[in-house]
Amino acid sequence: MGKYDVINTRARRLDAPDKATGRAKYVDDICLPGMLFGAMLQSPLPHAEILNIDTSAAKKLPGVKSVVTAEDAGMVKYGVSPARYDETVFCKDKVHYIGDEVAAVAAIDLDTALEAVSLIKVDYEELPAVFTVDEAVAEGAPLIHEDFPRNICGEVHNEFGDVEKAFKECDLIRTDTFKNKRQDAGFLEPNGCIADFDPLGRLTLYSSTQVPHYVQRIVAMVLGLPIGKVRVIKPCIGGGFGPKAGTTPMELIACLLSMKTGKPVKMNYTREQVFLFGRARHQFVHTMTTGVKKDGTLMALKNKCYLEGGAYTSFGIATVYYAGSLLTGPYKLRNMKYDGYRIYTNKPTCGAQRGHGSVISRAAWEQQLDCVAEDLGMDPLEFRLKNVMETGDTTINDLYTSSLGMKECLEAVKTGSTWKEKRGKLPKGKGIGLAGGFFVSGAGYPIYRSDTPHSTVTIKLSDDGGNARVYTASAEIGQGSDTTFAMIAAETLGIPLSDVAVSSGDTDFGVDLGAYSSRQTLMTGHATKRAAENVKAQVLAVLSEQLDIPAEEMDIKKGLIEFRNGNPDFEGLRTRYLKEHRGWTDHPGGDDLTFREAARVAFLEKGPIVGSGAYKPGDLGGKYKGAAVGTSPAYSCSAAVVEVGVDMETGKVTVDNMTDAHDCGFAINRTSVEAQLQGSLSMGLGETLFEEVKFDNKGGILNADFGEYKIPTALDMAPVDTIIVESDEPNGPYGAKEVGEGAILPTIPAILNAVYDAIGVRIWELPLTPERVYMAIKKKKEEQKD
Amino acid sequence: MLLPKFEYHEPKTVQEACRIVGELGEKAKVLSGGTDLLVNMKKKLIQPEHVVSLSKIEDLKGIFRENGQVKIGACATAGEIAGSEVIKDTLADVAEAASVLGSPLIRNLATIAGNMTSARPAADLPPSLMAYGAKAKLVKASGERSVDLNDFFTGVGKTVMTPDEILTEIAVEIPQEPYGDHYIKLGVRQALEISLVNVAALILLDGPEGPIKEARIVLGSVAPTPIRALSAETVLAGQVPSDVLFERAGEAAANDSKPIDDFRGSAEYRRDMVGVLTKRALKTALDRATSR
Repeated sequence: MGKYDVINTRARRLDAPDKATGRAKYVDDICLPGMLFGAMLQSPLPHAEILNIDTSAAKKLPGVKSVVTAEDAGMVKYGVSPARYDETVFCKDKVHYIGDEVAAVAAIDLDTALEAVSLIKVDYEELPAVFTVDEAVAEGAPLIHEDFPRNICGEVHNEFGDVEKAFKECDLIRTDTFKNKRQDAGFLEPNGCIADFDPLGRLTLYSSTQVPHYVQRIVAMVLGLPIGKVRVIKPCIGGGFGPKAGTTPMELIACLLSMKTGKPVKMNYTREQVFLFGRARHQFVHTMTTGVKKDGTLMALKNKCYLEGGAYTSFGIATVYYAGSLLTGPYKLRNMKYDGYRIYTNKPTCGAQRGHGSVISRAAWEQQLDCVAEDLGMDPLEFRLKNVMETGDTTINDLYTSSLGMKECLEAVKTGSTWKEKRGKLPKGKGIGLAGGFFVSGAGYPIYRSDTPHSTVTIKLSDDGGNARVYTASAEIGQGSDTTFAMIAAETLGIPLSDVAVSSGDTDFGVDLGAYSSRQTLMTGHATKRAAENVKAQVLAVLSEQLDIPAEEMDIKKGLIEFRNGNPDFEGLRTRYLKEHRGWTDHPGGDDLTFREAARVAFLEKGPIVGSGAYKPGDLGGKYKGAAVGTSPAYSCSAAVVEVGVDMETGKVTVDNMTDAHDCGFAINRTSVEAQLQGSLSMGLGETLFEEVKFDNKGGILNADFGEYKIPTALDMAPVDTIIVESDEPNGPYGAKEVGEGAILPTIPAILNAVYDAIGVRIWELPLTPERVYMAIKKKKEEQKD
Repeated sequence: MLLPKFEYHEPKTVQEACRIVGELGEKAKVLSGGTDLLVNMKKKLIQPEHVVSLSKIEDLKGIFRENGQVKIGACATAGEIAGSEVIKDTLADVAEAASVLGSPLIRNLATIAGNMTSARPAADLPPSLMAYGAKAKLVKASGERSVDLNDFFTGVGKTVMTPDEILTEIAVEIPQEPYGDHYIKLGVRQALEISLVNVAALILLDGPEGPIKEARIVLGSVAPTPIRALSAETVLAGQVPSDVLFERAGEAAANDSKPIDDFRGSAEYRRDMVGVLTKRALKTALDRATSR
């Protein structure tokens, strides 16, 4: 056992028993007295002017309590990034995609609400629409938002070093174009919420969100309420993966309907509405040119990218930055030029999904790096090792790596996968491939400009001294963050994990920017540690007074007080505790003074023992335009080796095994870290092999359900050999940094590289459906015949 | 999504069920499993005024072997068919097809009658049953008839059934030994799939070592209904089985297929896959025939 009692072990998740037995409460399990049900009317057309909305028939339907449109909601613009607030609760003059919100109803039950929605009559005049990047940027194309010529929602132009000059020094330069398809994040729980506006003018919103804090701010801003009158509570949530990291129109509509009716209003997205809301991974088209020297030295990357973004911006500005900025690690890149464009189309809006913005650029580049290695005649693993960054390196775009175990990750998967024995030696139809990854451990700055702490945590001891409760507004979304913070609190306080409880996901518990950009373990972890240190100091200060021993000579471990110079006479304290607990059978005993006794005495002397902690990263990043995107207090890195089998006659790819190493700095809960690595395969496998949101030629989704939008089943999963690399991050609590998102970065390109190894053909378009793989094999066979 | 409102009927006997559907005609839909019907009702693609459930009719349950036949009750679920020893012993690929239908949850609900009457081009159960020449028993108040499944499907979602009829049983004549069969389904993932292509093959041998007496090949998902690959069957009839022969049969089957391009896959890919799957299905069918 190491120097820790609680962290770095395999703790059982705090939420596991409730989730396994059905006790866990999700939004839809909540029922409030007098609750109404809401439903929305969404545009059936991809682009149209609204000529008239007639709600009279809907209002007359018995059971209908409120019908609202833009007239009621107002036209306050909101979104994710204040620089691009381009959404309103309802459309007033025109609709921008199939699914845009036009009106909503609250009624005594869902049947009535849906019937009322069907009675709302809207007259539209259809406008020409654009569905692809090419259509949207074409000369004379219709504009989706007037202020954005050629439908360019955002563009980024960065150059670090001198790419053209570097290319002149290169021995090998190659250019490839890669594209993916729009994703759905595939979370199991459709977004849902209940808004409850009480008679005292306070609004409580229960919502399946990753970001209670941002939702609180947007709701207050859009509906004109003081932030302090708005409380957002996140119950248990069935997955998020990014699309739940913004405010939904449904949340705002439910709040508006509750304010109109004075009743709680419940609303849920259907699965189809989840697809229409979108906000998952964009479609990216990357054209990359990479130059190297003969010896494998990586010299320069030129990266041009178009993102098909849909009708609104959402996270899109950050996305288009991330698609460039995170390629500067974990390999030493000396020169990089990036030109990125995010384009509006008349389709549902894309946003952030696990690995935000950097997943497809990573997939494209890691496949290209394999091509470069092959062209050079180098082993792809040795090629990466030759260029690997180390702890203390700063990337060309000013990202400082205070810890980076990339070399260790590569060496670990090399050994773990028996790379040398397998690479190049597998039969036709079997392949092995490798890739690396690099990711932020929490975005360095909030989404809105602010000096706010990113996280505050309060810990309160129960007055009997037996238990500690952690209050945090952070979002447990299934990733295990509550357990992580309980472990950090228990370790720091020096008490067993079973004596720590967590209350989370409620804006009344503090400020926490939430579960996005892989931030919580580092940010909320720090705040938890600081709060626990504060509580511990308070307890020891009272003990110090009572026993007349300097606090520095005492510590708390495993629920017992440790005295550096041996146990003093503490009978007085023990007697005081026992006197208060006549009739109890669990009296503290033994030779050591217990935390329970010490904390009880602290309560008796000082009143409630409450400690708080806050965390905010220091100033980060360079001075160039957009330098804030990509900054982080720490960077994770990873390497994966995937083995696949390909049916050469049908093109069907089967992932047989993955060896996955991730540098998470320090594993607070080893089981949770491993689970993230396993999850990265299930999600990455789906994205690589099956997943694509498909559209008809009018902007309508063809597969807005889990029958036709294919996420992996248990039978598609392969064994994952997980390897935890710990580089001890100086900026992380106990040395910890992220694993949640970064783990997915190598997965897709490792599969791509393995498929190439199996079939001998490079495929530059996702997903690798049996048909796409078969056609690639067939085309190559035909070319060989000619 | 909510179900539209409807009148619900739960007859206890076939007779009572026939009377109800006879009276209601087009206004009623028969519920047997509901994995298609209820989904389509929630999507408001169909809004029947009446739904008649078969689930309380005891006579429609069970799988039996009698008089050289296997009889599968209308309410037998895919899960029951997949696990049935009778079916595994006699019609192995019917059990195979049932075992890859949807997911365990769907297999616990979906019934053979539902899988036939919903008449989806990609349905899992029809191809192997058609290869065996299975017959559907259709009952109405005034009588009953037996229809070969090869003549049962008339288009996407369409069959020869009239609104006053109920499918009560699928009966399969067990072929004379030696014979072997195989069903292959191709989708993009390992479960919960709608076939891009599926193929059922049945080989009847003329004696243990003998040439092929007769072969039947049924293709799913490549035409509005499952179809027989008749020219492939001709290629095989009377021939000594071999890899080359199966390759030729595969090519003939590919030519017999009439796939379309849709969002799930292209016609070209489907046609090519008919060839591959037919060849593979025949190989396994032969292995089974010779090892019986």
